[in-house]
Amino acid sequence: MPKLTIDGREVEVPQGTNLIEAARLAGVEVPYFCYHPYLTVVGQCRICMVEIEGQPRLAIACATAAADGMVVKSATSQRVKEAREAVMEFLLANHPLDCPVCDQAGECLLQDHAMSEQGGNFASGMLETRRTFPGLERRLLGPHVIQNQNRCIHCSRCIRFTQEISETWALTYKNRGNNAYIDTFDGRPFDDPFSACAADVCPVGALTVREFRFRKRAWKLSSTPSVCPGCSIGCNIWIDHHERIVYRFTPRENPEINATWLCDYGRFLSESLNQQDVVHPKRRLKEGWQKLPWAEVFRALALDVKAAKTLRVVASGYMSNEELYLARELFARRLQGELVVPVFMGEPRKMKNGRRQWLYSQSALPNLEGAKRLGIRTVDEEGLARFLYGAADLTVVLDPQAHPFLATPEAVQLVKVSPTVVAARVDAPLLEAATWVLPAASLAANEGTWVSSTGKVQRFAVAVAPPGEARPLWQILALLARALGFADLAVTTPSQVFQWLVESEQSFAGLDWNTLLGAEQTSYRERQHVG
Amino acid sequence: MESVLLRARGVANSRDITTYLQAGGWEGFKKALSMPPEAVTQEVIDSELRGRGGAGFPTGRKWSFVPKDHPGPKYLICNADESEPGTFKDREIIEYDPQMVLEGIAIASYAIGAHTAYIYIRGEFFRWAKILEEAIAQARAHGFLGKDILNTGYDLDVWVHRGAGAYICGEETALIESLEGKRGFPRLKPPFPAVVGVFGKPTVVNNVETLACLPHIMTRGARWFASIGRPRNTGPKLFCVSGHVNRPGVYELPLGVTFREIIFEHAGGIRNGRKLKAFFPGGSSAPVLTADEVDVVADFDSCAAAGTMLGSGAVIVMDDTVDMVEVGRNLAHFYAHESCGQCTPCREGSDWCLDILNRLVQGYGHPSDPDQLLRICRFASQGMTICPLGDAFSLPISSLVSKFRNEFAAAIARAKPIPPKKLPVMPWVGKDVRFGG
Ligand SMILES: Cc1cc2nc3c(=O)[nH]c(=O)nc-3n(C[C@H](O)[C@H](O)[C@H](O)COP(=O)(O)O)c2cc1C
Ligand code: SF4
Ligand code: SF4
Ligand code: SF4
Ligand code: FES
Repeated sequence: MPKLTIDGREVEVPQGTNLIEAARLAGVEVPYFCYHPYLTVVGQCRICMVEIEGQPRLAIACATAAADGMVVKSATSQRVKEAREAVMEFLLANHPLDCPVCDQAGECLLQDHAMSEQGGNFASGMLETRRTFPGLERRLLGPHVIQNQNRCIHCSRCIRFTQEISETWALTYKNRGNNAYIDTFDGRPFDDPFSACAADVCPVGALTVREFRFRKRAWKLSSTPSVCPGCSIGCNIWIDHHERIVYRFTPRENPEINATWLCDYGRFLSESLNQQDVVHPKRRLKEGWQKLPWAEVFRALALDVKAAKTLRVVASGYMSNEELYLARELFARRLQGELVVPVFMGEPRKMKNGRRQWLYSQSALPNLEGAKRLGIRTVDEEGLARFLYGAADLTVVLDPQAHPFLATPEAVQLVKVSPTVVAARVDAPLLEAATWVLPAASLAANEGTWVSSTGKVQRFAVAVAPPGEARPLWQILALLARALGFADLAVTTPSQVFQWLVESEQSFAGLDWNTLLGAEQTSYRERQHVG
Repeated sequence: MESVLLRARGVANSRDITTYLQAGGWEGFKKALSMPPEAVTQEVIDSELRGRGGAGFPTGRKWSFVPKDHPGPKYLICNADESEPGTFKDREIIEYDPQMVLEGIAIASYAIGAHTAYIYIRGEFFRWAKILEEAIAQARAHGFLGKDILNTGYDLDVWVHRGAGAYICGEETALIESLEGKRGFPRLKPPFPAVVGVFGKPTVVNNVETLACLPHIMTRGARWFASIGRPRNTGPKLFCVSGHVNRPGVYELPLGVTFREIIFEHAGGIRNGRKLKAFFPGGSSAPVLTADEVDVVADFDSCAAAGTMLGSGAVIVMDDTVDMVEVGRNLAHFYAHESCGQCTPCREGSDWCLDILNRLVQGYGHPSDPDQLLRICRFASQGMTICPLGDAFSLPISSLVSKFRNEFAAAIARAKPIPPKKLPVMPWVGKDVRFGG
């Protein structure tokens, strides 16, 4: 392990660490634009220049490996300062500096560097007119990515992303020198299944995401660590939200799963979290729907549940381990009902981890693995139909999205024959057949853990308060348990349930709720670093 | 001096292999094959041959960086991209004596243990690519290339690869990328090509002229080669003299003549009886020398001592009618066009220089321009860039500004006020043409 000094701070780093990462470990920030920890080092932008004692020329930190005894100067070197100022002058010579109308403002590496390291002080001797790329200023490259080539700093991160990570080779340089610009290969639409990541890695506002563009200023957003609900891979995300509205998902670094990437499908599920069609708990009477306050609901529902001799419950691979545990404990063990989790594959998804290996989705469900670990019976479409075909005094569907079959008229017919309780967030055909409808909160308003298909237990945190009277499912289950007289199950936070999991389930043994969110990166630069 | 590299010039049927064989051709390769490869390398080290491609790196030393025990294939590349303004010597060798180039390739390949060699030839050199193809076919037919050459068990295939018209592809790592079928972007070094080159394998890139010296070193010996020229600057060298001289052309002279001899004796002096003003001693990438510096010795070390470089040996001569600001503009135009666009200082700097010089030439100079040019050049060279193209435009342009500052000052003194900037107008693209909305 080489030991070196950076700006007077000693640090020991693993063999092969480059000077940017070594400096980070030493608590020194070396600026960079073209470097990205999960992409090949190309040394193009030249902002990361550092002085190494004994070397006549400045070196680029991104492409220099730390060596034992190296003495590196970054912020403390006058030569480095001058060189970086020159690089900024070059970069800004043709940069439009339209930050006020640029959607990247607030999360732009160029802006950050200009403001922090350079203190916003600039003297440029430039008397010329800027070069522009007429026609490439707001061009739709593909379904999700908009290009403004004038802002491009030619760092090639986007190109390298499509070459090395998504492997579509969709983006390329065209032309040469200062006229070089980014285009899709052969001029085809940029419909890479990971296309929005190209905008993520773009350090400036040259590539932006159409869905998010101009919807919210970056600095207004708060970010909450969470997990993508799109498939069983379980990519780590930030839910970016403001005033109870979810605006986007951005990748949260996890070398073992998604490095710093998200697929477009998963990423653009973000907006769907804002949808809350069911806002009040209600009961169907002969005259029509009756809204009830929650306390009433549990009292009346408990009577219905107690009256039922046979009980069947459809849980979901979208439910957290804690919710599944409560459902299993309450419905299967205490009430002796039948409990199943439906399985479906959905569209196959794939993701590249930090070692550049592809991971493939095992199902469309983010927590099928958790249901399996809890020993809950899983059923395929046919099994689900058969399960619903049998008679029961009461049917409980905890998530009408649990399987596409639940949205078919056949399923509606099957559950209609007996009283049915449905916990739901968005409108679903099954609600026609329901006797009770309970508003459940979205992922953004919930907390708990999921198990990824690679077996990693991952926690998601509460980003927003649930709209209307919606409640997270774990809370609904806990309060129902209390109404049924099982006070021991009436938890007030899912972490209590998690503790039971740790104590009772071998595959959860030794886990700690508090460390399951993964590394919490909060500083802005870190966010850029990861996405 | 006797003609070595250009001995076939003026000989009838000089390209034909029988002519070459009559002149003692392919003997050097035969001799090399009778020696262990290390001995061939040692012979070249002893000859003190330095690369003729521009950087003047000792050829034998370069070969010795190739890992000896590398298990996989190694490659030799003959750099025939010759695109440096003012340079036209490699073409001359190929035109008259392609077999000599092939023999040099064979010797170098044998020395480094390569069984495949590529000739990367400038795309516009269509005629010379054909000449090389024909020469390869002849050499193959005579058993100098192919399998089990001259019953020694040594195999060598040579392929001609045509470039697509980019100056940057003469830079060895951009050449390698281009040869691999990619965009000609120079690679970060280290690793150097001798360790990680084409297809990730150890590769030596040598210039045509460098390789053409090898048959002679093998047949006549390192001592003979080293006796030509001066210590550490040995051998014959081709000088491409162009510009305002009476007899422009390629001259073969020993390293160590002065530029005065080259320009005034061999090239016949300045045309129309005018006076020498300045000259580029080694192609457009070399800092300019003034008439006062015409006694500088034309070899690698003397040029370096004079603050310039011998480069490719292209002497571009300018008489006293030449406007040095216009020269700068001309250079900047070339380099801004040829910058690959990868790294910030060269991409932005070359184009910025061009903008300033264009403005100056059009009569809109500003007093800050010379210093601005010097600042750009300072920060686009000296290791600020990935490849030496940054230096290649910065050093000559800054030499022009410093040595002819008076001309820049005069241009500025004549200048009209700079017209107000045009704000870049963003055309409104209401509909995306490609997606119909
Ligand atoms: C921008 C640039 C252009 C170059 N063009 C050529 C060229 O056209 N021909 C050439 O032989 N070397 C060229 N070189 C030099 C090569 O990179 C390399 O040094 C040379 O081919 C090595 O051969 P040598 O050792 O025989 O000199 C160029 C270098 C640079 C930086
Ligand atoms: S579009 Fe963005 S990511 Fe791509 S090269 Fe330009 S600045 Fe870099
Ligand atoms: S691969 Fe799966 S978990 Fe990852 S972003 Fe896509 S849908 Fe979400
Ligand atoms: S110095 Fe110029 S030509 Fe060389 S890599 Fe950089 S941009 Fe390309
Ligand atoms: S970060 Fe090192 S050159 Fe761009």
